[in-house]
Amino acid sequence: MFLFRHLRSERSRHIRALHRLYRFSNDKNRPEARGLRLLRTWLSPTQRAQFDSFGYFDVTGSVSHRKYRIHFGVSANIQELGNDDKPRIGWCFIPDGNLVPGDVMLAQKIALETSERDALAVANRFPPTIPALLRNAGRPY
Amino acid sequence: MATQIVMDHSGDTRHAFDPLDAKAVAKAEKRFKDLTGAGFIAAERTADGESRRVSAFNPMAEETLFFPRLAGG
Repeated sequence: MFLFRHLRSERSRHIRALHRLYRFSNDKNRPEARGLRLLRTWLSPTQRAQFDSFGYFDVTGSVSHRKYRIHFGVSANIQELGNDDKPRIGWCFIPDGNLVPGDVMLAQKIALETSERDALAVANRFPPTIPALLRNAGRPY
Repeated sequence: MATQIVMDHSGDTRHAFDPLDAKAVAKAEKRFKDLTGAGFIAAERTADGESRRVSAFNPMAEETLFFPRLAGG
């Protein structure tokens, strides 16, 4: 029962994230849309396909080679995945300033792929269920 | 043309310059030093989906991205 509720919650979160994603993309001049365009051009083809389908993409840490999942969002949006691809730790680090989600996610991707240790040194840990994403589900970025 | 992309509240601001124009290159190099001196992190795209951090100005880089320093959220 718990697993069913959890899966349903995960799925609805992805749907909400995708809905926000495409709502922002409709207005090409909005900062949010510009940020998403920039992000998409810097993603690998695999990451881009994953992001378009699920609202998140996976990156590999430059030092540990561990896998991280970056979700659509501006904070508390990174999960470190275990060998079974299940979330085991939540990480939160963001660039200074009030940046749009696409920019934040791109900075997080580059940081983990090129200087994982520096990124995690400033990051805060949290439980991997991403409470902030659930809280911000209807946030009008 | 080479492009420097600076993340900001508008999404990003782009500065294009001709890498064969000495005056434009000097201006771009000054922008690189000013931004990295202010704590921005610079990265170049090396292949589709791959990037690397850079600490020195490279006028031949097709795209150089600058984002503010990272902090715990």
